[in-house]
Amino acid sequence: MKSQNPVQPPRTAVWLITVFSPGEEGETILGDLLEEFSPLALKAGMAAARLWYWRQTLKTIPHLVAAGFGTAPWSTTAAVIGGFLLHRFVHGLPDKLLRVVTDRYLAYWSTHFEIYMFWATGGMLIAHLIASVFTGCLVASAAKRREMVATVTLAFVLGALGITSSLVWLIRTGDMWMLALQCADALAVAMGGVIVRLHRTAATNSLPSPT
Amino acid sequence: MSGRDYLGEFEHLIVLALLRLEDRAYGVTVRQEIEFRTGREVSIGAVYATLNRLESKGYVKSHRAEPTPERGGRSKRFFHMTAKGLAAVNRTQGTLERMREGLDFIRSY
Repeated sequence: MKSQNPVQPPRTAVWLITVFSPGEEGETILGDLLEEFSPLALKAGMAAARLWYWRQTLKTIPHLVAAGFGTAPWSTTAAVIGGFLLHRFVHGLPDKLLRVVTDRYLAYWSTHFEIYMFWATGGMLIAHLIASVFTGCLVASAAKRREMVATVTLAFVLGALGITSSLVWLIRTGDMWMLALQCADALAVAMGGVIVRLHRTAATNSLPSPT
Repeated sequence: MSGRDYLGEFEHLIVLALLRLEDRAYGVTVRQEIEFRTGREVSIGAVYATLNRLESKGYVKSHRAEPTPERGGRSKRFFHMTAKGLAAVNRTQGTLERMREGLDFIRSY
């Protein structure tokens, strides 16, 4: 039985609830919100209904995260701490790799300086972000059904630490790029959680019905 | 009797809503009942977080109904109070009433 509603709630808000809520809980919440959204859209207009839906979504997500943490506080904390340590380790790898490759192909780089510059700047940035997504994926896998709780918590911790150090850098040098990089890094960790969560949801939905 | 046997403020509102709604109590009706009677906007996430906590304490029970088209093919989750939950409400109400005794001037505020 699929939706027969002529009005549809904001897709991003629906997606956020799906990502943050485990299994049937998310379906029930989405059903409740849709049941109220449709008459509200007809009565107060689409804009007001969409605003209400977004307000409900943004107020609901912290409860979903807190509930997820409360279900298994120790294993979630362990996943976050493990993820933090892993992130510290993995984040140093691109720099080490750059040093090794630079030393090994020194002669090549001297004749292809543009490629070296790309590798040392854009390439490194991409490598750091891939490392963060990889960390997020591993943390989400370890956190089992609480993928988003663990990765969002880790992203907040990394984001808070990174932004604090970037602000010091910003005051000293006036450069914004470090701040942007730290925010992107935290987002990449959360993205890893989203990838694992969506993959698991798709795998669950593709399972045959027991009947 | 331990301190855990008392209901928190929002838990108290939720169980009173369940008692008022009887067999019509699910996420939407509980949320609307509290909003209507208290005048404060309540998120559906707060309602479910509290209901799940009450269920884990054994104060409420839930069951799923058939999926309906107006909910996009999703089912409702109905809640009802257990005897243990009713005892917790009575205990909390009784304690509040005993604390209120002799403080009639509160009404004048």
